Amino acid sequence: MPFISRTIRQSDYSRFPSTCPIVIDNGGSYFRIGWAGETDPRLVFRNIVLRPRHKTTGETVTIVGDQDPTLLRYFDCTRSGPRSAFDNNVVYQFEIMEYILDFGFDRMGVDGSQCMPSFFLEITAFGVDAAFSYKYNQQLGVCDKDGLAICSGFATSHVIPIKVDHEISRFTWEKVEDLKMEHCYIAPDYASEVRLFQKGTKEAKEKTRCWQLPWVPPPTEEPPSEDEIARKAAIKERQGQRLREMAEAKRSSRINELENQLQGFEFLLQQLAYVQESDVPSFLAKGEQVESESKADPSTTEKFPLVNIPDEMLTPEQLKEKRKQLFLKTTTEGRQRAKQKRFEEEMERERQNQQDEEKRLENPELYLEQLRAKYKELSEKVEQRKCLKINGGSTNGNHNVSGGVGRGERLNAAQNERMRLLTTAAFDRGKGPDEDEAELARVTSRLQDIDPKFVPKSELGPLQSSTEVPWLRPMTKEDFQIVLGVERFRCPEILFQPNLIGINQAGLDEMVGVSLRRLPSKVEGLEERLTSNVFLTGGSSLYPGMSERLEAGIRMIRPCGSPIKIVKAYDPVFDAWRAAAAYAASLQFPQQTFTRMDYYEKGEDWLHRYQFKYSL
Amino acid sequence: MEAEVVESEMVLPTHLRFKRIQMYEKYPKGQSRGRHWKHLKQILQAENFQNYRPNEPHYVNIESPPSMHPCKRICDITGYEAPYFDPRTNLRYANAEVFKIIRSLPNDYVQRYLALRNAAVVLK
Repeated sequence: MPFISRTIRQSDYSRFPSTCPIVIDNGGSYFRIGWAGETDPRLVFRNIVLRPRHKTTGETVTIVGDQDPTLLRYFDCTRSGPRSAFDNNVVYQFEIMEYILDFGFDRMGVDGSQCMPSFFLEITAFGVDAAFSYKYNQQLGVCDKDGLAICSGFATSHVIPIKVDHEISRFTWEKVEDLKMEHCYIAPDYASEVRLFQKGTKEAKEKTRCWQLPWVPPPTEEPPSEDEIARKAAIKERQGQRLREMAEAKRSSRINELENQLQGFEFLLQQLAYVQESDVPSFLAKGEQVESESKADPSTTEKFPLVNIPDEMLTPEQLKEKRKQLFLKTTTEGRQRAKQKRFEEEMERERQNQQDEEKRLENPELYLEQLRAKYKELSEKVEQRKCLKINGGSTNGNHNVSGGVGRGERLNAAQNERMRLLTTAAFDRGKGPDEDEAELARVTSRLQDIDPKFVPKSELGPLQSSTEVPWLRPMTKEDFQIVLGVERFRCPEILFQPNLIGINQAGLDEMVGVSLRRLPSKVEGLEERLTSNVFLTGGSSLYPGMSERLEAGIRMIRPCGSPIKIVKAYDPVFDAWRAAAAYAASLQFPQQTFTRMDYYEKGEDWLHRYQFKYSL
Repeated sequence: MEAEVVESEMVLPTHLRFKRIQMYEKYPKGQSRGRHWKHLKQILQAENFQNYRPNEPHYVNIESPPSMHPCKRICDITGYEAPYFDPRTNLRYANAEVFKIIRSLPNDYVQRYLALRNAAVVLK
């Protein structure tokens, strides 16, 4: 389900008292900001910054979030693409972060009015989004008191065991045993992730906020649905009908042609009967051409009278003449022979064409299939040869912008490659037999004639869709489709098998096992309690089938029969923000925050030692 | 600026009232600003993780360990299971057709496929 940003300027800023905190969820993909105590963040937008140049004025402007692409045509965006402040889930580009924050506050309606200075309270508190989300859902009754929170962000996932400490006398956050979070690094196509210790307070301005680390659901695309298939079937039928009609039309036109020819021949016959009766037998045998030849023959013998006379009887000048005539004679004869050969070849081809036509008329579809297969083979051979010719040579500077695995992206590069190959190969016919290419050209033209839907290979899309994994799909040239068959589950598979992209780490299900192993105290039944309450949150948890897969994975590692229950967050994307908003609005919040003055005084190290504890 | 661009307010205004120091003052034009932000690797290196208490979790020690399961071999081109391996290009392939494709790929593509798997030869 695609995610829509909300960036309307808020106008009720002045309604809120200056002590009301602004809650920010700074995610790798989306940035959520809103007031504490509300149920939804006011603004949601993509956490990226674009700095294009305006085409007419030339000034560089800053655009935050994803914007309407039609408006972007006024800007020259080629210099730098959208940039994110994150590097693998840690904010490191603070300038970009500043732009984003500016935008966020600007849209919230923050203005320079009087309450602003007091708003610079610089009170900050940190929280871990997963823990927040967990608590929120707990209140909703979704999960029990103890449990394991698994939150999958954009580039990282965490597995957190959460256990309620029965001594609730302390107000501060208490880390459960050792709160171990395990990252598994995922590399999907999108930005953003979740980080625990955020050092984002180095910025100049700090306002009252609660930093949180969010995540975003990546959109998944659908393969062609049933109506696509029905439409294709209808097109095929229409095509067959059209072919049959064309075959009929061609046949009747051919019949007419033959009839005309026949009439022509008969007429000639009649004419010849009057002209040269002696030449008739040879004429009938060879047809029209012989007529011209026989007409030429008497002329040659007349032209070269000296040829047949033996040499001794000639004078020197006559000898020279004779040599010339001999030469002329051989050349003319050669020419005639060549003409004859060509004529025979043409006859041969005509015959083949006729056979082809007949085959086609019988069964247009089958013929088409055969022709297509032949075309495919030939084109493959030719392409391979061409590729080998320039293999290892320089590339054409095409780069795939996105790092995606989909074959659709290769389409443009392949097209350009082919064009280049064609242009270079046209001038370089050295290697390889030309007959294949000639044959290919012939077949192409034939296909283009008969098949109204045929398109040369270079413009076509990749394989047709299918939902079965191990079955190899045959190449068809039907439609221009970008098909996501295997990729649909190959991408999220990375969550469970980071080895697919070369990251040598354990997948999510294994991580659960490791996380449980790392719990220091072997409290009786703790592990059972944790596995019976596994809480899934984060944008990546929106993948369908996630909980089943995780359950199967956990079952593999746990002893047989141990209870495993996996629960999903009510709203994996926004829950963390909501929980933080609720927390910020709660009474204990002002005591749990620390101010910028604290940070300046005590330094970074103090921040580390500032015990992040989670009390639920 | 075109009218509709201004109306849509997509451009971040240069002067914001609630800021004490505006962005254009902080990062004057023409100065290279991108270079003084440390990347994650540099940040991690700058931290001396040995100084922290051993039991405390921090960014590095919560990384997941390598997987115990044997690595699943997947074809680099099609995504199917790939029991075979091309010694010339180091790509995995599922069957003979894919092999044909692999052999016809220019070197550039081969490197990109390998890079997806983090197996490309990186010359520094």
